[in-house]
Amino acid sequence: MKYVQYINSLIKEAVKDKPNMVIFGQNIDAGSCLSGLTTGISELNKGLTINTTNSENTLVGVGFGLMLNNISSIFFMKQMDFLLLGIDQIVNTYNIIRQSNPSASFTIFPITVDSGYEGPQSSLNNFDDFCSIAGVEGYSFTNKEDTKKIISEQLVKPGFRILSTGQRLLREEMRELSIIYSDPDCKYFQYKKGDDITVVCFNQATPYGEELYKTILNHNITASLFSINSHLCADYEHIMNDIKNTRKLVIIDDSKSKNKLSDRFIINILDTCELKRKKVITRSLQENDFYPCKDTLEIDYNSVVDFMIS
Amino acid sequence: MNQESLNIIRKIIWLRSAQILVNDLYKSGEFIVPIHLAMGHESIAVAVDIVMQENDSLVLTHRNIHYNLSRIGTLKEELDEYYLKETGLAQGRLGSMNLSNPDKGIIYSSSILANNLPVGCGYALGNKTMNLNGVVFIVTGDGAIEEGSFYESLLFLKSNNLPTIIIIENNEWSLGTKIHERRANIDLYKLADSLDIEYFLLQGNDPFEYKKELNAARNSALANSSPILVEVNLTTLGYWYLKNEIHPDGKFINYHGGPAPKVFNFKTKKYPEIVPSDQDPLYVLSKYLEPDELIEISREVVKELERELI
Repeated sequence: MKYVQYINSLIKEAVKDKPNMVIFGQNIDAGSCLSGLTTGISELNKGLTINTTNSENTLVGVGFGLMLNNISSIFFMKQMDFLLLGIDQIVNTYNIIRQSNPSASFTIFPITVDSGYEGPQSSLNNFDDFCSIAGVEGYSFTNKEDTKKIISEQLVKPGFRILSTGQRLLREEMRELSIIYSDPDCKYFQYKKGDDITVVCFNQATPYGEELYKTILNHNITASLFSINSHLCADYEHIMNDIKNTRKLVIIDDSKSKNKLSDRFIINILDTCELKRKKVITRSLQENDFYPCKDTLEIDYNSVVDFMIS
Repeated sequence: MNQESLNIIRKIIWLRSAQILVNDLYKSGEFIVPIHLAMGHESIAVAVDIVMQENDSLVLTHRNIHYNLSRIGTLKEELDEYYLKETGLAQGRLGSMNLSNPDKGIIYSSSILANNLPVGCGYALGNKTMNLNGVVFIVTGDGAIEEGSFYESLLFLKSNNLPTIIIIENNEWSLGTKIHERRANIDLYKLADSLDIEYFLLQGNDPFEYKKELNAARNSALANSSPILVEVNLTTLGYWYLKNEIHPDGKFINYHGGPAPKVFNFKTKKYPEIVPSDQDPLYVLSKYLEPDELIEISREVVKELERELI
């Protein structure tokens, strides 16, 4: 099953019994329905489903206006880049709305553009950075289990948040990872437990972590694997305890902007853990990021493992 | 003159007197929050207050004192809000530019130019979702119509058949620049016509005329499930002339916000008219009552305000 099909099934499950819900966005019930993300939702939604105008600023405000009127809504959008047009509403309007602890739900569900070939105007792939501008709850997800947890628990619930996954992953087969520990608020998850290396993944980087984990096993050692799914400050004690045990840490963050959540995480570690080995795999903005080019991290997994065990 | 008409006249005089009282306190340095007085805007505010029905809502801008006071009919809670006291209209959490009052139908006020239009769109969509037969009044100004969200919102409202009245308070000024100093002319009639939106022009500050026109606009909005554009030509009073060596004949200083330094103090005039022309809604009232009758009402209003604030 393609990942986008799986997400679509979870969305339908989450909205099917909700009364008076407004689901809106550009082409959500037309054409390819956002490449399959919103296919069939209008048939299940008991409230309004609206193919909207191309007016992102207004559409974000519409969600907040609905909230003030106690109507829950979801705004689906094809690219997170477009959401920059709505940043006034996300910051300024939400600062008013959040004071009243609204009972209605408003979720914006953009796709983080991370394929790299859209061109110079699609370089924003740092979902955590975007959400941090307004201190908005934001959740990213990459695999079967974290997607299920986040969509079922966060898509429709009182308050406002943004949910997103990477465009690149949507087209791929769904990745299966079993969760062995879950933060109560879905802010991070643990998938593997080992004694030799701790791997912590940010933004849409969990698939890289999974590949690194497999390489580590091939070296006859074990590793713990975590994903950080929300930028909001969580209690990282569970992860810190794991790092204190392994004392070897690999951080993988595929986001491109300068304000990286992994940097804040590293500050936490400096305060609490003594490390024998550390490796931070990330990328900084480079000149060719503003041309159409491959957006993936190039990682030599064997070299990383060799360094960590040396 | 019937009692309802007398009440309208009395309310306009009360609204002016209350604002002059606020201005006095402001001049003496009482407030740290920025306040945008709306002397000269009394007729439209009182007319909107009268025309609004039970399920109607009002969405405001940073210049909202006239609507807030009209809707609540008393001054103390508003003053307390400006003092940021817990006894304020919003418990001191909103101050002036974001002051709303959901109990009186004022669901949102924004200090960001044109930010309130999308929120009004959403609120109106919520009414539609609940089959609620109400009209959303969205107030904006001639500066905000330069923003993209003004056009986006009109398009959204029309596309979704939402009964709304967009009131454009056109005082010709955006801070220190007049329309002709900053932009080409916007023909709102033609703009509205291009979107098949009905347009009303209000000018002259006659509250009875405004009431009649707004009732017609409201009926049309409901009957046709459509937005209506109402342009109100008015003057924000409190302007003054700066005389110095460079400007010996006086340079016009527009009133935008803060204390109006040249407006007379509370109780120093028998009748709180600021300019003897139809720029001033209080001057317009002389069409309906004799000077001594207006002075008598003013005297009662001053006593009422003093009683309230003791």
